[in-house]
Amino acid sequence: MSYEPKIVGFLCNWCSYTGADLAGTSRVHYAPNIRIIRVMCSARIDPTFVLKALREGADGVLICGCHPGDCHYSEGNYKMMRRYPLLKKMLTDFGIEPARVRLEWVSASEGQRFAEVVNDMTQRVRELGPSPIQQTLAQDMAER
Amino acid sequence: MAIRVNPKLIDELEVYGAEDVQNCYHCGNCSAVCPFSKEPYIFPRRPMRYLQMGLEDKLKGSLEPWLCYYCGQCSEECPRGAEPGETMMSLRRWLTSKYDFTGISRAFYKSGKVELFTVIGAALLTALGFVLWAVLRGGDINSYDGPNAFLPAASIHIFDWALAGVLLALLLTNCGRMWWFTLGRDKQLRTPFWLYLKKLYLLPLHFVTQKRFATCERKRPWAVHLALVVSYLIMLVLIMFFLDLMWSGPEIDWRVHVFGYIATVGLLGTTIFALRARLKKAEPLYAHSHETDWIFLILLIFAAFTGILQHILHRVGFDAAANVTYIVHLMGVVPMLGLEVPFSKWSHLAYRPLAMYFSAIRAEAKERAEKEAVEPTLAAQPVA
Amino acid sequence: MEEQRIGVYVCQCGTNIAKVVNCEEVVRALSEQPGVVVAKTYKYMCSNPGQEMIIADIQEHGLDRIVVAACSPRMHEPTFRKAIQTAGLNPYFVEMANIREQCSWVHDDPQVATDKARALTFGALHRVAKHEPLERMSVEMCPDVLVIGGGVCGMTAALELADGGNHVYLVEREGTLGGNVARVDLTAPYLDSARDLITALVTRVEEHKRIDVLVHSQVSSLEGFVGNFTATVETIWGDGASVSQFRVGNVVVATGYKEFDASRVVHYGYGKLPNVITSFEFEKMLRAGRIQTKEGKIPQYVAIIHCVGSRSKEFHTYCSRVCCMTALKYAHEVKSAIPNCYVSDVYIDMHAFGKGHEDFYKRGSEAKTLFLMYAKNDHPVIRKAGPGDDCEMLIEVNEKLSGEQIEIPADLVILMVGMEAREDSDAVARLVNISRDKDGWFIESHPKLDPVATTTDGIYIAGVCAAPKDIPDTVAQARAAAGRILAKTIRGSIEIDAVFAEIDEDKCSGCRVCNALCPYSAITYDASKKKSTVISAVCKACGACVAACPSGAIKARHFTDSQIFAQIEGVLT
Repeated sequence: MSYEPKIVGFLCNWCSYTGADLAGTSRVHYAPNIRIIRVMCSARIDPTFVLKALREGADGVLICGCHPGDCHYSEGNYKMMRRYPLLKKMLTDFGIEPARVRLEWVSASEGQRFAEVVNDMTQRVRELGPSPIQQTLAQDMAER
Repeated sequence: MAIRVNPKLIDELEVYGAEDVQNCYHCGNCSAVCPFSKEPYIFPRRPMRYLQMGLEDKLKGSLEPWLCYYCGQCSEECPRGAEPGETMMSLRRWLTSKYDFTGISRAFYKSGKVELFTVIGAALLTALGFVLWAVLRGGDINSYDGPNAFLPAASIHIFDWALAGVLLALLLTNCGRMWWFTLGRDKQLRTPFWLYLKKLYLLPLHFVTQKRFATCERKRPWAVHLALVVSYLIMLVLIMFFLDLMWSGPEIDWRVHVFGYIATVGLLGTTIFALRARLKKAEPLYAHSHETDWIFLILLIFAAFTGILQHILHRVGFDAAANVTYIVHLMGVVPMLGLEVPFSKWSHLAYRPLAMYFSAIRAEAKERAEKEAVEPTLAAQPVA
Repeated sequence: MEEQRIGVYVCQCGTNIAKVVNCEEVVRALSEQPGVVVAKTYKYMCSNPGQEMIIADIQEHGLDRIVVAACSPRMHEPTFRKAIQTAGLNPYFVEMANIREQCSWVHDDPQVATDKARALTFGALHRVAKHEPLERMSVEMCPDVLVIGGGVCGMTAALELADGGNHVYLVEREGTLGGNVARVDLTAPYLDSARDLITALVTRVEEHKRIDVLVHSQVSSLEGFVGNFTATVETIWGDGASVSQFRVGNVVVATGYKEFDASRVVHYGYGKLPNVITSFEFEKMLRAGRIQTKEGKIPQYVAIIHCVGSRSKEFHTYCSRVCCMTALKYAHEVKSAIPNCYVSDVYIDMHAFGKGHEDFYKRGSEAKTLFLMYAKNDHPVIRKAGPGDDCEMLIEVNEKLSGEQIEIPADLVILMVGMEAREDSDAVARLVNISRDKDGWFIESHPKLDPVATTTDGIYIAGVCAAPKDIPDTVAQARAAAGRILAKTIRGSIEIDAVFAEIDEDKCSGCRVCNALCPYSAITYDASKKKSTVISAVCKACGACVAACPSGAIKARHFTDSQIFAQIEGVLT
């Protein structure tokens, strides 16, 4: 069987999670690799959530929030936006391809766009192959 | 090149009977229910659209109105009361006036009064002419046939043929114009002469059998119409070729008279049926009556009754009365044939079979053109 | 810790879930998990028998945590919270796995979808184990209401609320009430006078003792939360300005629309051809009682073009809903004013969906309006007629019903300009903290089930600001919003969600990073204790402070780190 990546999605409750629901009500099909976790705002997404997901076996992490200027909490998405480059840098330091983590803005009315984002993300992660973390973890276990 | 819309045409058509065409919103139910509506002749919807938009040239070139027999199913199915059947009928009247170069037809359709007065005028002139002629040549009012006859059969026969000649000339000219509008002037369409020959059989076929009419779901209108046409044709043949035999008497010449009786029964029966139906608005076909329809039917029934009366009077020996009745009969027949055949409702006896003929030519020419357009592209493809 | 007893309920949603997801298999997988006492599937979990089944199981098996794998929690989370509360559990002891909107409706391979549904349900199972009991708070509900916008919608809502006994502040930017309807002559399809309609409303509003009308005014800020907002309104008087402030419990946003700018459609020549006018300019003509060209002539040909700015790829893809009937109204008014005038109505589709509309359309046909159909994105083009023509202009159209390329004579062309979100709708959305869709209209809480509420408690939207609609629909929404508010204020208090942030004083270092971060200024700093605290009623639970706290001292209730971690583990097993 071909390699199917596991992707964890952290979606803000007001825009992106609603947008993902809209993809459902509009029956817009997309790749099934994503597992969605709801948070109230993208600002709630602690970098440790992303690291935890990668450690637990995710090959990619998708973060979605409201478009800049449209945040339900006025500016939460800006906070995520500022946190994101630092997170990428940290991943590079850890030896994880930064492309495994992605930040996208999806509004409540963008069901179609959400599907496109998921499909594109799934395709990119599939091209990257399995996350190197699992291998490192296995080695660590063996060395101990 | 864009065609200019003429919103005034719809008003003009109102006098021809198209009073509800504006209600159509083009759902297409009429064309779907019509047994005759097939590519490339989609109707009633398409002609109705041309009419709403006032595309006069497109309408003038349309054969579709003649392909309709007004079974009335379209009008029954119409959700908006746009009366597609009646609209097609009105278009036939309008087309008749367009084919006619004299403008008389137009005047008749535009005003029932003009037609009525013309008919009455023609009737009076006919009476005056025949009476003067008979008196001047010394005809005996008491003599119906023989050398002293008031109106000798041989002379009447000549008159008949002369009248037929004039009518034929008028009708042929109008038919020529119909050809020009519907086929002749279309430069895009290539209609080779052999195609005209190939389809020629359609003309007599449709003229005699009314074959197409029979395919309508309702059979009664076709049966009535066929009876009328056959009766009319019998009468025409009797008068044009056997007038001398018909004339003789007083004893009945069964060789011809039996046909005469059949035709009379046919004409009378169908006319009474049509009159009754129009009065009662029994079928969609009869629901709307234009003034010209009434004049036509009245003339027909008038001619039938006077014909019968004159025949009886002569057979029972009242020759003077028969002569007078005959003049009265001619007062009905001459306007009926002289005015109605070239300029009014009767002209459809020529236009309808012609339309069938032309439409078959047009359809085949179009099909050929389409095939030719496809073939070169096929040929250009490499052989795999 | 005492061992948990968890019940898992997998909904089939008729066939919505079951036709793709093998619910039995999900139940089987879940029933083998530690802590799971009951695992069941049922046709409609949200139905009364479904809920009763859960309640009975809780009581019979002593369940203390519930997982419902069904539709989106945005749909039925409140339902199941209420159900388990009935059974005596804390309402926050339920977690939903979204296996419909985010699984069965978006995937078609049964095996793949079943695997995903199982993973999502595992996530919920792991998460619910970490749930903590939370108590909701009750706060006072201020009965006063702020209505933004003094058109038909705002006035109707204000009257309904004031008649119900609440005090209303009606804020209108312009100098007079009436909005866009005040610019209209007659209304379709019954041809009632818009002027009469507006006059009646304005008189009642101005005379109502419980309505404060603030014209020339704008809301400059809105702070607080449902039941306890503070609104600041700026009023401009001639050359001076004043600021007023008042407390309100709820807000109705009824800011309406603006008309599409016709000059954006270049092929109609609006602004260049003098006799191409917009529908609102024609309304002005009708109100003045004389239909004429710029040169003062009575037109012989009038053409009406539909969907100007609406239903096109270039401008707006949506339908503005009122233009079709308005166009028919124009055809009617032109014909009755100038009986020998020819009216052409150039449309894409005729949308005659409302009460009396189809009959009105038929009346238009009977009056011999020439209806001509053009294709979406294949617009008519208007040009000046030549000297030999009997008309001012010619409109070239690829007419769809005939398939012919035609030109229509016209002396006067009326462009049916569509509705557009106001240019400041973005600012309004931010002011009251609601969202806008791609076209700029405000988004409702649920398009079908909750059309006047928004995702922000206490903020209601009504009328065209939510999407184009006609007067009856607008009035219905205005009254619906007023009804919702009346129903809430009658109780005098409101329960607010127990989901908010709290600071563990032992861990807080007093660095104050969170203070500046909070968009609602809900975190205060106690200088004497050198600690920060969250004002729970003001907190809206975004969690920005939680993720930012360097000491890990802030907990997002119901979205704790351990709950999210557990869910991550769950979805990845």
